[in-house]
Amino acid sequence: MERRKFIQGIFATSAVVAMAVPSTLLAEEAKKEATKKGPNDMSFEEALKTITNGKGAKESDKIELKVPEIAENGAVVPVKVNVDHPMEEKNYVKAIHVLNKGNGNARCADVMLTPANGKGYFATRVKLSKTQEVVALVELSDGTFIQTAKSVKVTIGGCG
Amino acid sequence: MAEKRRAMIKIKPKKFKVGDIVKVDFIAIHPMDTGMQKDKKTGEIKPAHYIDSITFSFDGKPFTTMKIWESVSRNPYFSVNYKVTGKGKITVDYTDNQGEKNSKSKKVKPKG
Repeated sequence: MERRKFIQGIFATSAVVAMAVPSTLLAEEAKKEATKKGPNDMSFEEALKTITNGKGAKESDKIELKVPEIAENGAVVPVKVNVDHPMEEKNYVKAIHVLNKGNGNARCADVMLTPANGKGYFATRVKLSKTQEVVALVELSDGTFIQTAKSVKVTIGGCG
Repeated sequence: MAEKRRAMIKIKPKKFKVGDIVKVDFIAIHPMDTGMQKDKKTGEIKPAHYIDSITFSFDGKPFTTMKIWESVSRNPYFSVNYKVTGKGKITVDYTDNQGEKNSKSKKVKPKG
């Protein structure tokens, strides 16, 4: 009986050790990931605050944001923004900001438009590190901000 | 930088008239390093190297300016619209965070 207990004990402890080691390793890895920072890291909330000057933005269906539902390669994700708004001398789309919610730096591109553009349109390709939301934030000439967001499933991350 | 990086401007569609809204596509050949990637050969972390500002202008008059961060893909592609007002030249200038400058221009020839 004693021997059986002894062996059982060994198995139990070894199982616990086996479970414990990888989890602590993983935790350390996660910590490293969290502390690994780029030169100009910015969270989405901060970026939104600095762009809108603390005003915030309204959800709107005037913006047509075209992103793929599933991106196989996170390094090249096409983003297309179309704003259904007139481009007249005094009433036009002032800026289109493309933001993300999951990368180290939430800002991708700020595009300042003028009435000479004729249409509020912008297209580019961005890198996404993981499955996350892409946000198009649009500033109109009267100083109001509207936004729309769409999530993209990323199979292979594109950063680093 | 000894060698100039390549860049390209495309205007779509090819045939257009005065008053038409055309697409102006700009593609630059640029690594767009985020500063977090490792060099596969040496194992060292590559310094950040990305385009940070772009200006689209028509006959010297800017109509679109952009601020870009490292989240934009390698060999970046940017597309904006432009309302054709007449004959002229579209010029795109960019600067990256290491001070490299480049510019590319294309003639605009509306028909009719």
